Amino acid sequence: MKFYLKLVHMEVHRFRYLLGGLMVLTLLMQFGVVLLWSLSERSIRTGPGWSEKLITYHPFSETGKLTFNEMMFNNQFWFSFPVLISIAVIAGYVFLIWYRDWLGRDTFIYRLLMLPSNRGCIYAAKLTAILLFTFGLVSFQLLLLPLEMMLFNLAIPEALRDPSYLSQAILQNQVLKVLIPGQLDAFVMAYAIGILTVLAAFTVILLERSYRVIGIGFAVIYVFVCGAALLAPITLQRPGNTASYLYPGETYSIMLALTVIIVFVSVWLSIRLLNRKITV
Amino acid sequence: MIEVRDIHKKYRRRKVLDGVSFQIEKGEITCLIGTNGAGKSTIMKAIMGLTPFRKGEIIIDGQKLGKERYEKISFIPDHLTMPPAMKLDEAMVFMADFYRSWNEDRAKELMGFFQLEGKERIGNLSKGTAAKFNLLLGLALDTEYVLMDEPFSGIDMFSRALITEVFSSHLIEDRGVLITTHEIADVEHLIDQAVLLKNGSVIRNFNCELLRMEESKSIVDVMKEVYQA
Repeated sequence: MKFYLKLVHMEVHRFRYLLGGLMVLTLLMQFGVVLLWSLSERSIRTGPGWSEKLITYHPFSETGKLTFNEMMFNNQFWFSFPVLISIAVIAGYVFLIWYRDWLGRDTFIYRLLMLPSNRGCIYAAKLTAILLFTFGLVSFQLLLLPLEMMLFNLAIPEALRDPSYLSQAILQNQVLKVLIPGQLDAFVMAYAIGILTVLAAFTVILLERSYRVIGIGFAVIYVFVCGAALLAPITLQRPGNTASYLYPGETYSIMLALTVIIVFVSVWLSIRLLNRKITV
Repeated sequence: MIEVRDIHKKYRRRKVLDGVSFQIEKGEITCLIGTNGAGKSTIMKAIMGLTPFRKGEIIIDGQKLGKERYEKISFIPDHLTMPPAMKLDEAMVFMADFYRSWNEDRAKELMGFFQLEGKERIGNLSKGTAAKFNLLLGLALDTEYVLMDEPFSGIDMFSRALITEVFSSHLIEDRGVLITTHEIADVEHLIDQAVLLKNGSVIRNFNCELLRMEESKSIVDVMKEVYQA
Protein backbone atom coordinates (compact mmCIF):
# COMPACT_ATOMS: atom_id res chain seq x y z
CA MET A 1 0.00 0.00 0.00
CA LYS A 2 2.87 2.33 0.90
CA PHE A 3 4.51 1.72 -2.50
CA TYR A 4 1.22 2.24 -4.29
CA LEU A 5 0.56 5.60 -2.57
CA LYS A 6 4.11 6.77 -3.23
CA LEU A 7 3.78 5.85 -6.90
CA VAL A 8 0.43 7.65 -7.16
CA HIS A 9 2.01 10.73 -5.60
CA MET A 10 4.87 10.54 -8.09
CA GLU A 11 2.53 10.22 -11.09
CA VAL A 12 0.41 13.17 -9.93
CA HIS A 13 3.58 15.18 -9.28
CA ARG A 14 4.78 14.52 -12.84
CA PHE A 15 1.50 15.71 -14.38
CA ARG A 16 0.97 18.67 -12.06
CA TYR A 17 1.97 21.45 -14.48
CA LEU A 18 -0.20 20.11 -17.30
CA LEU A 19 -3.12 19.62 -14.90
CA GLY A 20 -2.66 23.14 -13.54
CA GLY A 21 -2.44 24.48 -17.11
CA LEU A 22 -5.73 22.80 -18.06
CA MET A 23 -7.43 24.22 -14.98
CA VAL A 24 -6.15 27.73 -15.69
CA LEU A 25 -7.21 27.44 -19.36
CA THR A 26 -10.72 26.32 -18.31
CA LEU A 27 -11.01 29.08 -15.75
CA LEU A 28 -9.82 31.86 -18.07
CA MET A 29 -11.87 30.77 -21.09
CA GLN A 30 -15.12 30.14 -19.23
CA PHE A 31 -14.85 33.30 -17.12
CA GLY A 32 -14.02 35.22 -20.30
CA VAL A 33 -17.05 33.78 -22.11
CA VAL A 34 -19.38 34.56 -19.18
CA LEU A 35 -18.07 38.11 -18.84
CA LEU A 36 -17.99 39.01 -22.54
CA TRP A 37 -21.42 37.58 -23.30
CA SER A 38 -23.00 39.12 -20.20
CA LEU A 39 -21.56 42.58 -20.86
CA SER A 40 -22.54 42.40 -24.50
CA GLU A 41 -26.11 41.36 -23.69
CA ARG A 42 -26.34 44.01 -20.96
CA SER A 43 -25.30 46.77 -23.34
CA ILE A 44 -27.85 45.58 -25.90
CA ARG A 45 -30.66 45.47 -23.37
CA THR A 46 -29.85 48.79 -21.80
CA GLY A 47 -29.15 50.48 -25.14
CA PRO A 48 -31.49 52.72 -27.13
CA GLY A 49 -34.19 51.04 -29.17
CA TRP A 50 -34.43 47.93 -26.98
CA SER A 51 -37.90 46.81 -26.13
CA GLU A 52 -38.98 43.72 -24.20
CA LYS A 53 -41.73 43.40 -26.76
CA LEU A 54 -39.17 42.56 -29.44
CA ILE A 55 -38.82 39.12 -27.87
CA THR A 56 -41.88 37.03 -28.47
CA TYR A 57 -40.43 33.63 -27.57
CA HIS A 58 -38.87 33.11 -24.13
CA PRO A 59 -37.32 29.65 -23.89
CA PHE A 60 -35.19 30.41 -20.82
CA SER A 61 -37.37 32.74 -18.80
CA GLU A 62 -41.07 33.47 -18.70
CA THR A 63 -40.34 37.16 -18.32
CA GLY A 64 -37.87 37.34 -21.21
CA LYS A 65 -35.08 38.42 -18.85
CA LEU A 66 -31.52 37.14 -19.11
CA THR A 67 -30.61 33.92 -17.34
CA PHE A 68 -27.41 31.97 -16.72
CA ASN A 69 -29.04 29.07 -18.59
CA GLU A 70 -29.33 31.26 -21.69
CA MET A 71 -25.67 32.18 -21.41
CA MET A 72 -24.76 28.46 -21.21
CA PHE A 73 -26.97 27.59 -24.18
CA ASN A 74 -25.69 30.39 -26.41
CA ASN A 75 -21.99 29.70 -25.84
CA GLN A 76 -21.76 25.98 -26.55
CA PHE A 77 -18.45 26.00 -28.40
CA TRP A 78 -16.33 28.41 -26.40
CA PHE A 79 -17.62 27.16 -23.06
CA SER A 80 -16.96 23.52 -24.04
CA PHE A 81 -13.65 24.19 -25.78
CA PRO A 82 -11.37 23.97 -22.68
CA VAL A 83 -13.34 20.93 -21.49
CA LEU A 84 -12.81 19.19 -24.84
CA ILE A 85 -9.11 20.14 -24.75
CA SER A 86 -8.88 18.61 -21.26
CA ILE A 87 -10.56 15.40 -22.46
CA ALA A 88 -8.15 15.21 -25.41
CA VAL A 89 -5.12 15.78 -23.14
CA ILE A 90 -6.25 13.12 -20.65
CA ALA A 91 -6.98 10.69 -23.51
CA GLY A 92 -3.48 11.29 -24.89
CA TYR A 93 -1.97 10.98 -21.43
CA VAL A 94 -3.50 7.49 -21.03
CA PHE A 95 -0.89 6.42 -23.61
CA LEU A 96 1.82 8.87 -22.62
CA ILE A 97 1.76 7.79 -18.97
CA TRP A 98 3.33 4.47 -20.14
CA TYR A 99 5.24 5.44 -23.29
CA ARG A 100 6.90 8.42 -21.60
CA ASP A 101 8.72 5.92 -19.35
CA TRP A 102 9.93 3.83 -22.28
CA LEU A 103 10.79 6.39 -24.90
CA GLY A 104 13.29 9.22 -24.83
CA ARG A 105 16.78 9.47 -23.41
CA ASP A 106 15.95 8.48 -19.85
CA THR A 107 14.00 5.23 -19.79
CA PHE A 108 12.45 5.46 -16.34
CA ILE A 109 10.65 2.14 -16.88
CA TYR A 110 13.91 0.34 -15.95
CA ARG A 111 13.73 1.88 -12.48
CA LEU A 112 9.97 1.38 -12.12
CA LEU A 113 10.21 -2.32 -12.99
CA MET A 114 13.16 -2.74 -10.62
CA LEU A 115 11.31 -1.37 -7.61
CA PRO A 116 11.11 -3.95 -4.83
CA SER A 117 7.31 -3.96 -4.94
CA ASN A 118 4.60 -5.83 -6.75
CA ARG A 119 4.46 -4.62 -10.37
CA GLY A 120 0.70 -4.45 -10.01
CA CYS A 121 1.35 -1.30 -7.93
CA ILE A 122 2.80 0.45 -11.02
CA TYR A 123 -0.34 -0.46 -12.98
CA ALA A 124 -2.69 0.58 -10.17
CA ALA A 125 -0.81 3.85 -9.61
CA LYS A 126 -1.02 4.85 -13.28
CA LEU A 127 -4.72 3.98 -13.40
CA THR A 128 -5.39 5.88 -10.16
CA ALA A 129 -3.50 8.90 -11.50
CA ILE A 130 -5.66 8.99 -14.66
CA LEU A 131 -8.82 8.74 -12.55
CA LEU A 132 -7.59 11.45 -10.19
CA PHE A 133 -6.86 13.79 -13.11
CA THR A 134 -10.29 13.09 -14.64
CA PHE A 135 -12.29 13.51 -11.45
CA GLY A 136 -10.06 16.42 -10.43
CA LEU A 137 -10.96 18.27 -13.62
CA VAL A 138 -14.66 17.39 -13.30
CA SER A 139 -14.65 18.60 -9.69
CA PHE A 140 -12.88 21.77 -10.74
CA GLN A 141 -15.58 22.35 -13.37
CA LEU A 142 -18.25 21.83 -10.70
CA LEU A 143 -16.44 24.34 -8.51
CA LEU A 144 -16.21 26.86 -11.36
CA LEU A 145 -19.90 26.77 -12.29
CA PRO A 146 -21.26 28.54 -9.15
CA LEU A 147 -18.40 31.05 -9.42
CA GLU A 148 -19.34 31.68 -13.06
CA MET A 149 -22.95 32.14 -11.98
CA MET A 150 -21.79 34.70 -9.42
CA LEU A 151 -19.80 36.48 -12.13
CA PHE A 152 -22.89 36.49 -14.35
CA ASN A 153 -24.96 37.95 -11.51
CA LEU A 154 -22.36 40.65 -10.96
CA ALA A 155 -22.26 41.56 -14.65
CA ILE A 156 -26.04 41.66 -15.16
CA PRO A 157 -28.12 43.96 -12.97
CA GLU A 158 -30.86 42.24 -10.98
CA ALA A 159 -33.55 44.04 -12.96
CA LEU A 160 -32.36 42.40 -16.17
CA ARG A 161 -32.03 38.81 -15.01
CA ASP A 162 -33.97 35.89 -13.68
CA PRO A 163 -32.44 33.24 -11.40
CA SER A 164 -31.21 29.88 -12.75
CA TYR A 165 -30.52 26.56 -11.12
CA LEU A 166 -27.09 25.03 -11.57
CA SER A 167 -28.51 21.59 -12.43
CA GLN A 168 -30.52 23.15 -15.27
CA ALA A 169 -27.57 25.25 -16.41
CA ILE A 170 -25.46 22.09 -16.83
CA LEU A 171 -28.16 20.57 -19.05
CA GLN A 172 -27.89 23.52 -21.46
CA ASN A 173 -24.36 22.53 -22.49
CA GLN A 174 -24.07 19.43 -24.68
CA VAL A 175 -20.64 18.45 -23.30
CA LEU A 176 -21.29 19.12 -19.61
CA LYS A 177 -24.58 17.23 -19.91
CA VAL A 178 -22.59 14.06 -20.70
CA LEU A 179 -19.73 14.72 -18.26
CA ILE A 180 -21.93 15.66 -15.32
CA PRO A 181 -25.22 13.82 -15.80
CA GLY A 182 -28.03 14.54 -13.37
CA GLN A 183 -28.90 10.90 -12.63
CA LEU A 184 -26.62 8.61 -10.64
CA ASP A 185 -27.10 5.61 -12.98
CA ALA A 186 -26.16 7.73 -16.01
CA PHE A 187 -23.11 9.02 -14.10
CA VAL A 188 -22.06 5.48 -13.14
CA MET A 189 -22.58 4.20 -16.69
CA ALA A 190 -20.65 7.07 -18.31
CA TYR A 191 -17.65 6.71 -16.02
CA ALA A 192 -17.77 2.89 -16.06
CA ILE A 193 -17.43 3.02 -19.85
CA GLY A 194 -14.62 5.57 -19.44
CA ILE A 195 -12.73 3.38 -16.96
CA LEU A 196 -13.26 0.31 -19.15
CA THR A 197 -11.78 2.21 -22.10
CA VAL A 198 -8.74 3.23 -20.03
CA LEU A 199 -8.22 -0.37 -18.86
CA ALA A 200 -8.50 -1.64 -22.45
CA ALA A 201 -6.00 1.03 -23.58
CA PHE A 202 -3.56 -0.03 -20.83
CA THR A 203 -3.82 -3.66 -21.97
CA VAL A 204 -3.25 -2.61 -25.59
CA ILE A 205 -0.15 -0.63 -24.57
CA LEU A 206 1.26 -3.51 -22.49
CA LEU A 207 0.59 -6.01 -25.30
CA GLU A 208 2.52 -3.76 -27.69
CA ARG A 209 5.35 -3.21 -25.17
CA SER A 210 5.60 -6.97 -24.49
CA TYR A 211 5.46 -8.30 -28.05
CA ARG A 212 6.27 -5.12 -30.02
CA VAL A 213 5.12 -5.41 -33.69
CA ILE A 214 3.30 -8.73 -33.14
CA GLY A 215 1.80 -7.15 -30.02
CA ILE A 216 -0.01 -4.59 -32.19
CA GLY A 217 -1.76 -7.51 -33.90
CA PHE A 218 -2.68 -9.03 -30.51
CA ALA A 219 -3.94 -5.60 -29.39
CA VAL A 220 -6.20 -5.26 -32.44
CA ILE A 221 -7.64 -8.75 -31.81
CA TYR A 222 -8.11 -7.93 -28.10
CA VAL A 223 -9.97 -4.67 -28.85
CA PHE A 224 -12.13 -6.42 -31.44
CA VAL A 225 -13.03 -9.28 -29.06
CA CYS A 226 -13.85 -6.85 -26.21
CA GLY A 227 -15.95 -4.65 -28.48
CA ALA A 228 -17.79 -7.62 -30.02
CA ALA A 229 -18.47 -9.17 -26.59
CA LEU A 230 -19.77 -5.90 -25.19
CA LEU A 231 -22.09 -5.23 -28.11
CA ALA A 232 -23.22 -8.85 -28.56
CA PRO A 233 -26.41 -8.46 -26.44
CA ILE A 234 -27.54 -5.71 -28.84
CA THR A 235 -26.25 -7.02 -32.18
CA LEU A 236 -27.43 -10.60 -31.67
CA GLN A 237 -31.04 -9.53 -31.19
CA ARG A 238 -33.10 -9.64 -34.37
CA PRO A 239 -36.31 -7.63 -34.61
CA GLY A 240 -39.33 -9.90 -34.92
CA ASN A 241 -37.53 -12.99 -33.66
CA THR A 242 -39.12 -13.63 -30.30
CA ALA A 243 -36.68 -16.44 -29.49
CA SER A 244 -33.74 -14.01 -29.43
CA TYR A 245 -35.56 -11.05 -27.90
CA LEU A 246 -34.34 -9.62 -24.62
CA TYR A 247 -36.04 -7.04 -22.46
CA PRO A 248 -34.06 -3.78 -22.05
CA GLY A 249 -33.43 -4.67 -18.40
CA GLU A 250 -31.98 -8.03 -19.41
CA THR A 251 -29.79 -6.46 -22.10
CA TYR A 252 -28.53 -3.91 -19.54
CA SER A 253 -27.76 -6.70 -17.02
CA ILE A 254 -25.90 -8.81 -19.59
CA MET A 255 -23.89 -5.77 -20.73
CA LEU A 256 -23.06 -4.94 -17.12
CA ALA A 257 -21.91 -8.53 -16.48
CA LEU A 258 -19.80 -8.46 -19.65
CA THR A 259 -18.28 -5.13 -18.58
CA VAL A 260 -17.27 -6.66 -15.23
CA ILE A 261 -15.74 -9.69 -17.04
CA ILE A 262 -13.81 -7.46 -19.47
CA VAL A 263 -12.52 -5.35 -16.55
CA PHE A 264 -11.25 -8.47 -14.74
CA VAL A 265 -9.71 -9.96 -17.89
CA SER A 266 -8.01 -6.64 -18.78
CA VAL A 267 -6.55 -6.17 -15.29
CA TRP A 268 -5.45 -9.83 -15.04
CA LEU A 269 -3.86 -9.79 -18.50
CA SER A 270 -2.10 -6.45 -17.93
CA ILE A 271 -0.60 -7.52 -14.61
CA ARG A 272 0.45 -10.89 -16.07
CA LEU A 273 2.16 -9.08 -18.96
CA LEU A 274 3.92 -6.75 -16.51
CA ASN A 275 5.11 -9.66 -14.39
CA ARG A 276 6.08 -12.15 -17.07
CA LYS A 277 6.32 -10.72 -20.56
CA ILE A 278 7.29 -7.09 -20.39
CA THR A 279 10.62 -6.12 -21.88
CA VAL A 280 12.57 -2.87 -21.62
CA MET B 1 26.10 -16.79 -5.86
CA ILE B 2 24.02 -15.97 -8.95
CA GLU B 3 23.67 -18.99 -11.21
CA VAL B 4 22.63 -18.42 -14.80
CA ARG B 5 21.53 -21.83 -16.06
CA ASP B 6 20.97 -22.67 -19.70
CA ILE B 7 19.20 -19.46 -20.68
CA HIS B 8 17.57 -19.40 -24.12
CA LYS B 9 15.93 -16.37 -25.69
CA LYS B 10 14.71 -15.66 -29.19
CA TYR B 11 13.81 -12.34 -30.76
CA ARG B 12 11.63 -13.07 -33.77
CA ARG B 13 13.60 -15.87 -35.43
CA ARG B 14 17.04 -14.88 -34.16
CA LYS B 15 18.56 -16.68 -31.18
CA VAL B 16 19.65 -13.88 -28.84
CA LEU B 17 20.75 -16.25 -26.05
CA ASP B 18 21.47 -19.87 -26.81
CA GLY B 19 22.00 -21.92 -23.68
CA VAL B 20 24.01 -19.39 -21.64
CA SER B 21 25.31 -20.71 -18.30
CA PHE B 22 27.79 -19.17 -15.85
CA GLN B 23 28.05 -18.11 -12.21
CA ILE B 24 28.72 -14.86 -10.39
CA GLU B 25 30.48 -15.36 -7.08
CA LYS B 26 30.35 -12.92 -4.17
CA GLY B 27 33.58 -10.99 -3.68
CA GLU B 28 34.57 -11.46 -7.32
CA ILE B 29 34.37 -9.31 -10.43
CA THR B 30 33.03 -11.21 -13.43
CA CYS B 31 33.28 -9.62 -16.83
CA LEU B 32 30.96 -10.44 -19.72
CA ILE B 33 32.88 -9.91 -22.93
CA GLY B 34 31.58 -9.94 -26.45
CA THR B 35 31.11 -7.95 -29.61
CA ASN B 36 28.02 -5.79 -30.12
CA GLY B 37 24.88 -7.93 -30.22
CA ALA B 38 26.51 -10.88 -28.44
CA GLY B 39 23.80 -10.79 -25.74
CA LYS B 40 25.67 -9.15 -22.82
CA SER B 41 23.01 -6.57 -21.94
CA THR B 42 20.22 -9.10 -22.52
CA ILE B 43 21.76 -11.41 -19.90
CA MET B 44 21.83 -8.57 -17.37
CA LYS B 45 18.23 -7.65 -18.14
CA ALA B 46 17.21 -11.30 -17.81
CA ILE B 47 18.87 -11.53 -14.38
CA MET B 48 16.95 -8.40 -13.33
CA GLY B 49 13.60 -9.62 -14.70
CA LEU B 50 13.53 -6.84 -17.29
CA THR B 51 13.16 -9.18 -20.23
CA PRO B 52 11.59 -12.66 -20.38
CA PHE B 53 13.42 -15.77 -21.59
CA ARG B 54 12.05 -18.93 -23.17
CA LYS B 55 14.01 -21.56 -21.27
CA GLY B 56 16.44 -21.86 -18.39
CA GLU B 57 16.57 -20.42 -14.89
CA ILE B 58 18.33 -17.85 -12.78
CA ILE B 59 19.07 -18.85 -9.20
CA ILE B 60 20.13 -16.24 -6.66
CA ASP B 61 21.72 -17.65 -3.49
CA GLY B 62 19.90 -20.93 -4.06
CA GLN B 63 16.49 -19.38 -4.73
CA LYS B 64 14.42 -18.19 -7.64
CA LEU B 65 13.62 -14.66 -6.52
CA GLY B 66 10.82 -12.30 -7.49
CA LYS B 67 10.67 -8.68 -6.36
CA GLU B 68 13.05 -9.50 -3.46
CA ARG B 69 15.90 -9.62 -5.99
CA TYR B 70 15.85 -5.81 -6.23
CA GLU B 71 17.03 -5.50 -2.62
CA LYS B 72 19.76 -8.11 -3.29
CA ILE B 73 21.04 -7.02 -6.71
CA SER B 74 21.48 -3.54 -8.07
CA PHE B 75 21.63 -2.97 -11.80
CA ILE B 76 23.45 -0.02 -13.30
CA PRO B 77 22.31 0.18 -16.95
CA ASP B 78 24.35 1.88 -19.67
CA HIS B 79 22.32 5.06 -19.26
CA LEU B 80 20.69 6.96 -16.40
CA THR B 81 17.11 5.82 -15.85
CA MET B 82 15.58 8.68 -13.90
CA PRO B 83 13.21 11.36 -15.23
CA PRO B 84 15.13 14.34 -16.68
CA ALA B 85 13.03 16.85 -14.73
CA MET B 86 14.18 15.37 -11.40
CA LYS B 87 16.96 16.99 -9.41
CA LEU B 88 19.73 14.73 -8.11
CA ASP B 89 18.52 15.29 -4.54
CA GLU B 90 14.98 14.30 -5.56
CA ALA B 91 16.26 11.15 -7.26
CA MET B 92 18.01 10.18 -4.02
CA VAL B 93 14.83 10.81 -2.02
CA PHE B 94 13.01 8.58 -4.54
CA MET B 95 15.55 5.78 -3.97
CA ALA B 96 15.38 6.20 -0.18
CA ASP B 97 11.57 6.07 -0.38
CA PHE B 98 11.42 2.79 -2.27
CA TYR B 99 14.49 0.76 -1.26
CA ARG B 100 15.15 -0.58 2.23
CA SER B 101 18.74 -1.17 1.16
CA TRP B 102 19.38 2.49 0.29
CA ASN B 103 22.42 3.70 2.23
CA GLU B 104 22.12 7.46 2.69
CA ASP B 105 25.62 7.87 4.12
CA ARG B 106 27.17 6.04 1.20
CA ALA B 107 25.12 8.13 -1.24
CA LYS B 108 26.45 11.33 0.38
CA GLU B 109 29.98 9.93 0.31
CA LEU B 110 29.64 9.19 -3.41
CA MET B 111 28.16 12.65 -4.08
CA GLY B 112 31.35 14.06 -2.62
CA PHE B 113 33.62 11.56 -4.34
CA PHE B 114 32.15 12.31 -7.78
CA GLN B 115 31.73 16.03 -6.98
CA LEU B 116 28.02 16.08 -7.86
CA GLU B 117 25.60 18.91 -7.11
CA GLY B 118 22.26 17.91 -5.59
CA LYS B 119 20.40 20.90 -7.03
CA GLU B 120 21.30 20.00 -10.62
CA ARG B 121 18.56 18.58 -12.85
CA ILE B 122 19.18 15.14 -14.38
CA GLY B 123 18.27 16.38 -17.85
CA ASN B 124 21.06 18.99 -17.65
CA LEU B 125 23.86 16.55 -16.76
CA SER B 126 26.71 15.90 -19.18
CA LYS B 127 27.21 12.29 -20.28
CA GLY B 128 30.12 11.79 -17.88
CA THR B 129 28.30 13.31 -14.91
CA ALA B 130 25.19 11.27 -15.71
CA ALA B 131 27.36 8.11 -15.75
CA LYS B 132 28.76 9.00 -12.32
CA PHE B 133 25.30 9.63 -10.87
CA ASN B 134 24.08 6.41 -12.44
CA LEU B 135 26.88 4.59 -10.66
CA LEU B 136 25.96 6.34 -7.42
CA LEU B 137 22.34 5.16 -7.64
CA GLY B 138 23.50 1.57 -8.01
CA LEU B 139 26.34 1.58 -5.51
CA ALA B 140 24.49 3.40 -2.73
CA LEU B 141 22.20 0.39 -2.42
CA ASP B 142 23.49 -2.10 0.15
CA THR B 143 23.09 -5.05 -2.19
CA GLU B 144 25.08 -8.25 -2.35
CA TYR B 145 25.51 -8.11 -6.12
CA VAL B 146 26.03 -5.28 -8.60
CA LEU B 147 25.51 -5.55 -12.35
CA MET B 148 27.09 -2.81 -14.48
CA ASP B 149 26.39 -2.46 -18.17
CA GLU B 150 29.12 -0.49 -19.96
CA PRO B 151 29.99 1.90 -17.11
CA PHE B 152 32.71 3.56 -19.22
CA SER B 153 30.62 4.09 -22.33
CA GLY B 154 31.26 7.49 -23.92
CA ILE B 155 32.93 9.21 -20.98
CA ASP B 156 36.21 11.11 -20.78
CA MET B 157 39.48 9.65 -19.43
CA PHE B 158 39.33 11.57 -16.12
CA SER B 159 35.82 10.36 -15.32
CA ARG B 160 36.87 6.88 -16.42
CA ALA B 161 39.78 6.94 -13.98
CA LEU B 162 37.44 8.03 -11.20
CA ILE B 163 35.01 5.21 -11.96
CA THR B 164 37.86 2.65 -12.17
CA GLU B 165 38.94 3.80 -8.72
CA VAL B 166 35.53 2.69 -7.42
CA PHE B 167 36.22 -0.92 -8.42
CA SER B 168 39.18 -1.24 -6.07
CA SER B 169 37.45 0.61 -3.21
CA HIS B 170 35.33 -0.53 -0.26
CA LEU B 171 32.25 0.28 -2.36
CA ILE B 172 32.71 -2.94 -4.29
CA GLU B 173 34.48 -5.08 -1.69
CA ASP B 174 32.69 -8.34 -0.79
CA ARG B 175 30.04 -7.84 -3.43
CA GLY B 176 29.59 -10.02 -6.47
CA VAL B 177 30.06 -7.82 -9.54
CA LEU B 178 29.06 -8.53 -13.12
CA ILE B 179 30.34 -6.00 -15.61
CA THR B 180 30.23 -5.60 -19.38
CA THR B 181 32.72 -3.31 -21.05
CA HIS B 182 34.52 -2.75 -24.30
CA GLU B 183 37.29 -0.95 -22.39
CA ILE B 184 38.92 -4.15 -21.10
CA ALA B 185 42.34 -2.55 -20.74
CA ASP B 186 41.02 -0.18 -18.04
CA VAL B 187 39.72 -2.94 -15.78
CA GLU B 188 41.65 -6.03 -16.83
CA HIS B 189 43.78 -6.06 -13.66
CA LEU B 190 40.61 -6.03 -11.52
CA ILE B 191 38.69 -8.86 -13.21
CA ASP B 192 38.55 -12.28 -11.53
CA GLN B 193 36.49 -14.19 -14.07
CA ALA B 194 35.85 -13.60 -17.76
CA VAL B 195 32.92 -14.95 -19.74
CA LEU B 196 33.32 -14.64 -23.50
CA LEU B 197 30.15 -14.58 -25.55
CA LYS B 198 29.62 -15.02 -29.25
CA ASN B 199 26.25 -15.09 -31.01
CA GLY B 200 24.39 -15.63 -27.74
CA SER B 201 26.55 -18.52 -26.50
CA VAL B 202 29.37 -18.74 -23.94
CA ILE B 203 32.46 -19.76 -25.85
CA ARG B 204 35.05 -19.34 -23.08
CA ASN B 205 34.73 -18.97 -19.34
CA PHE B 206 37.93 -18.72 -17.34
CA ASN B 207 39.59 -17.50 -14.16
CA CYS B 208 41.86 -14.63 -15.15
CA GLU B 209 44.46 -15.22 -12.43
CA LEU B 210 44.80 -18.89 -13.38
CA LEU B 211 45.10 -17.98 -17.05
CA ARG B 212 47.83 -15.49 -16.28
CA MET B 213 49.74 -18.01 -14.16
CA GLU B 214 49.26 -21.14 -16.27
CA GLU B 215 49.26 -19.78 -19.81
CA SER B 216 50.82 -16.32 -19.33
CA LYS B 217 47.98 -14.81 -21.29
CA SER B 218 45.93 -11.69 -20.71
CA ILE B 219 42.19 -11.36 -21.37
CA VAL B 220 42.98 -9.34 -24.48
CA ASP B 221 45.15 -12.22 -25.77
CA VAL B 222 42.27 -14.67 -25.35
CA MET B 223 39.86 -12.20 -26.97
CA LYS B 224 42.15 -11.98 -30.01
CA GLU B 225 42.26 -15.78 -30.24
CA VAL B 226 38.50 -16.08 -29.99
CA TYR B 227 37.20 -13.14 -31.98
CA GLN B 228 39.87 -12.83 -34.64
CA ALA B 229 40.11 -16.56 -35.34
